Amino acid sequence: MKKILISIVIIVFVAPVLYGQELTGEDIIQKVNELFNVESGYAKAKMTIVTTSGQKRTFIYDSWSKNKGEKNLVRYLEPRRIKGQAVLMLNNADDIWMFFPRTQRVRKLATHAKKQKMQGSDFSYEDMGSGDAFINDFSSKRLEDEKMEGNDCYKLELTRAKESDISYSRLIMWIIKENFVPIVIDYYDEKDPTVLEKRLVQSDIRIIDDIPTAMKMVMYDKNDNTQTEMEFLEIKYNVILDDSMFTERELKK
Amino acid sequence: MKKWISILVFLSFCLSPLMAQDRVELFGYFESQAMGAEIKNEFLLLYSNKLRVDLKSSLSDNIIFAANFDYITYHGKTRWNILDFLAPNIISEIPQGMESFYVLPFSNRHFLDNAYIKLSFKHFDLTVGKQQISLGTGYVWNPTDVFNIKELFDPIYEQPGHNAVRLDLALGSMSTLTALFSPEDTWENSAKLIQFKGRISHFDYSLMAIEKVWRFHDYTEFDMENMNFLELPEKRQLLGASTAGELLGLGVWAEYGYNWMGSSQDFYELVVGTDYTFDFQTYMMVEYYRNTLGKTDYQQYDLNDWMRLIAMEQKAISRDQVYVFIQHPATDLLSIGLSIIYSISDNSVALVPTLNYSLSDNVEIFAYLNFNFGREGKVFSKNMGNGGLIRARVYF
Repeated sequence: MKKILISIVIIVFVAPVLYGQELTGEDIIQKVNELFNVESGYAKAKMTIVTTSGQKRTFIYDSWSKNKGEKNLVRYLEPRRIKGQAVLMLNNADDIWMFFPRTQRVRKLATHAKKQKMQGSDFSYEDMGSGDAFINDFSSKRLEDEKMEGNDCYKLELTRAKESDISYSRLIMWIIKENFVPIVIDYYDEKDPTVLEKRLVQSDIRIIDDIPTAMKMVMYDKNDNTQTEMEFLEIKYNVILDDSMFTERELKK
Repeated sequence: MKKWISILVFLSFCLSPLMAQDRVELFGYFESQAMGAEIKNEFLLLYSNKLRVDLKSSLSDNIIFAANFDYITYHGKTRWNILDFLAPNIISEIPQGMESFYVLPFSNRHFLDNAYIKLSFKHFDLTVGKQQISLGTGYVWNPTDVFNIKELFDPIYEQPGHNAVRLDLALGSMSTLTALFSPEDTWENSAKLIQFKGRISHFDYSLMAIEKVWRFHDYTEFDMENMNFLELPEKRQLLGASTAGELLGLGVWAEYGYNWMGSSQDFYELVVGTDYTFDFQTYMMVEYYRNTLGKTDYQQYDLNDWMRLIAMEQKAISRDQVYVFIQHPATDLLSIGLSIIYSISDNSVALVPTLNYSLSDNVEIFAYLNFNFGREGKVFSKNMGNGGLIRARVYF
């Protein structure tokens, strides 16, 4: 009986504390990665770029992803200037194709194109379709917990793996303890890990299909002093998507 | 009058059911453009306005109808004397009394550029009607594209539609077989194409065979019956291949086409290109082009070479050329670039600084200047006219 009581005390009072303490950086980033990369999904998003001169440019696009972000298709709906343009990213954005409806041409882009700004925004193609990048391209270390944007957060430092060609030398990430949503991510310069290049702030967290989802995110470019706001207008998780959707043939539709 | 009424009746019959549907889209753009060139110490200007109206309708989940109508007006210098661009030794080839035929006219025109229906099924797409045909991986030159020739200073401008029946057959997720038939007056003269597209690792590749009649002109003889230069149609059979992928972090592509000609000399075309985006967002591209139809010495260029180049019947008259393009986003809304086109065979070069500015979500401005640095008689000689172009485009 005494034995059982001791066990209950351990389970009820001690285990959660230990669990919280024992979560390593790798454990936490694994959970973040699972949250970011659901099996499949559809989203309609609005992207608003605020330029240095304060002008705004707005884009609306549909996007579909499959195999936990390994396959991605983005198709622009607005503005009219680029309506129908589409980007297909396979193998975690190692293979990128772009379709230009005005010329009916599909161009295969090399991975260096991932560094390019997506429609001049502060998001690069790499930021949009990097799949398991947090796990595969970085090693993670847990730092001292901090409060961020009013939330109790885990703080992680992700350092670029030697073999990785990702455009950031390291990331600092604040992750809400309650739901593992990374509320803030700091991206550091590719060459100089002391230079903060961009900051991503997520907000308006809602539960969609049992998955905590940040409906709004803002990327601040610290060098150019610009920002891009992304707002999800619609999100569906675990939708059934045929593999044929992620082909050049579908890209041209 | 009767003709217009018939057209209106036809359009109302065709468009009414389409417009009644929810999924009909009307869009397009208006483009106003000014182009100038310094010819014989005089700066000549040509203005144009273009209205393009696109219509796209999803008739059902797997049937799409798309069409576009272009209306273009020209103003200013609408008749360019081609002799102004040519060297005296070339002009001397012109038969006496025919000088007045060597004019490049810009006449107002309106036409149905594309109009097609596309049926999409699980394993194949069938496209019937006037449609764009884009072949090859090259940026400026496409050895395998026997349907289009790109404008050297503006290679990404849309290409015209071609009447064709096209079948794209999916062979798994990574391969496609395309068969295309572009009808002419007889089966013999009609263009036929078969293409296989696949992927190996990070490389896309395609293999193709094409047969098409190439409608050259002999610019030393005038056909009074057709009121045009004498047409010399000749059958062209092409076997080609193209690829695009990545090597050592660089984007790479190549395209090759060998042409068997009905009566004139066989030739081949080759393109090899590479590109890279630097960390500071600057994009750079280099493309090399060889066309064995081109000459190795500029003194071999003749009147037909020049006229076929100006009339865009032939992609190049010099054998080897290199295109270098550098572009940098100067601000979020402004990109500046520079194209350098070097004709290796005759050692002449053109510099083309470019500018793209996003005035608003649906308004963009594109401009370029072109400066030719080559002796008289070479591809990029000053005779070809230093100048430029500015274009404002509004999308709706």
